[in-house]
Amino acid sequence: MFRVVIAFLCAVLSGALVGSIVQTQFNLAALAELSVPITIDVRISTIIHDIINFSPILAAMLGVVLLVALPVAGFVAHFIQGIERLWFTFAGFIGLLLCFAIVNELAPMPTFIAATRSWSGWLLMAATGGLAGWLFHRVWRPTVRDLKDPVV
Amino acid sequence: MKRLKQSMLILSVLLFGQLTFPVHAAEVAVISDEIAVGFDYPWALVQLPERKAGWLVTERTGQLIHVADDGTKVQVPLQLPGLYVAGQSGLFDVILAPDFATSRWLYLSYACGTPNANTTCLARTRLSKTTPYRTQATEKLFTARPLRKGAAHYGGRMAWLPDQTLLLTLGDGFDYREQAQNLENHFGKVVRLTMTGEAPADNPFPDKTDGRIFSYGHRNSQGIVYDPTRKVIWQHEHGPRGGDELNRLQAGRNYGWPIVSLGIDYTGAMVTPYEALPGVVDPEYHWTPSLAPADMALYQGTMFPQWQGGLLITHLAGKRLQVLMPEHDTWQVAAEYRTSNEARLRAVAVADDGAIWLLTDSDNGRLLRLSAPKD
Repeated sequence: MFRVVIAFLCAVLSGALVGSIVQTQFNLAALAELSVPITIDVRISTIIHDIINFSPILAAMLGVVLLVALPVAGFVAHFIQGIERLWFTFAGFIGLLLCFAIVNELAPMPTFIAATRSWSGWLLMAATGGLAGWLFHRVWRPTVRDLKDPVV
Repeated sequence: MKRLKQSMLILSVLLFGQLTFPVHAAEVAVISDEIAVGFDYPWALVQLPERKAGWLVTERTGQLIHVADDGTKVQVPLQLPGLYVAGQSGLFDVILAPDFATSRWLYLSYACGTPNANTTCLARTRLSKTTPYRTQATEKLFTARPLRKGAAHYGGRMAWLPDQTLLLTLGDGFDYREQAQNLENHFGKVVRLTMTGEAPADNPFPDKTDGRIFSYGHRNSQGIVYDPTRKVIWQHEHGPRGGDELNRLQAGRNYGWPIVSLGIDYTGAMVTPYEALPGVVDPEYHWTPSLAPADMALYQGTMFPQWQGGLLITHLAGKRLQVLMPEHDTWQVAAEYRTSNEARLRAVAVADDGAIWLLTDSDNGRLLRLSAPKD
């Protein structure tokens, strides 16, 4: 159980961190297209701001998504064996993809997270859910090959 | 006058301090009368100029209501071309033509289109001279381009300039915020139109879009007035999370959204790292955290002489009316009013006797009259 909790926390925190950095790049790219100067200092300070202020919201969304998606992935993997990690990755990706759509339906604004206004932004942000699913399985059930080649 | 409810309220007047940091306070007594109730998300109000003719009130859900002096409500039949009601969309502002006494033209801003292709539109209609009021010869004068998806950020407030041209605020459509910087469309702009909806020849961008753009870089502006004494256009707009702005509007100027903002996104993400940039006009005043300014009127009445020349601003999230007075090249909150049940306030207007009229924002909206107590 302890391993599950650690894996879950690693997945949520990593996904939120990477997702925050990804959405910052989309927002800054939109400004750069308007000829707004984006220096490396501005980019770094914006990334830090968003990690502090945006990533907690994404972490909350990702936490709820994984609470549903990971058991579903485990259930599917029980019947279709051999590609278990792929199921967890896929579940995280699809879960966050749907989560963005549901939040947009429920929230008063058309699109809650600005970076998901475009298809590319929506898919890339959802990919951080896939990363979270992958990381959860990597920490929870490392393969023999994983243990020979540790993440850290 | 039918007074459904009357109460005496005290306004705190902050003489030398900001809202959040009052240094010195006095008090002004006002009487609050509830004139009428049961409006369905009322959005705007305008007083008819004939003696004791009453008021017209728009409801966002599409109705135009005549409110007689005794508080009696009667719906005025109105067919707006392509009216679209959903989310924040629907019927918005109503304003009388400068020559209303003879022409009887009412100008109405509203959302038109469909869920996947809608925008802000402007129409005018002739109001009958006698009650029960009717409308006729309704015609659409302007359609903001391009059409967009969603039902948010339409702007929709209007003001006449002394040369009888009309200013209309247009929102950024929320999902299209970067387009507020693009002079090839109407997102996040204030447009200036003739009385028939054409582009005046002296507009600042005659070669861009359709020549109607007056200023750009706006988010969602729901307050605009012309100040004839100072010869200034005052305009306010919603910021995201923080950064609601009061601007001195000038032709051809860039007001910054979304490349400059004093607020951040609702998610906590930064919209822009810049609070100021060369070529972008700074606000005269800002609200951070946001109060969601929804309307504005210039006070030129005699009932509250201490507020002469001040700006009356209603707030939705802030649930208050603020009186802003100029002080040392900026603005200070001079007084605030909240209803007893902390209602969101949508619209404000000054009556010909100097009383202040308010609309609360809900599916059971109320029309209130604030007046000074008689000695």
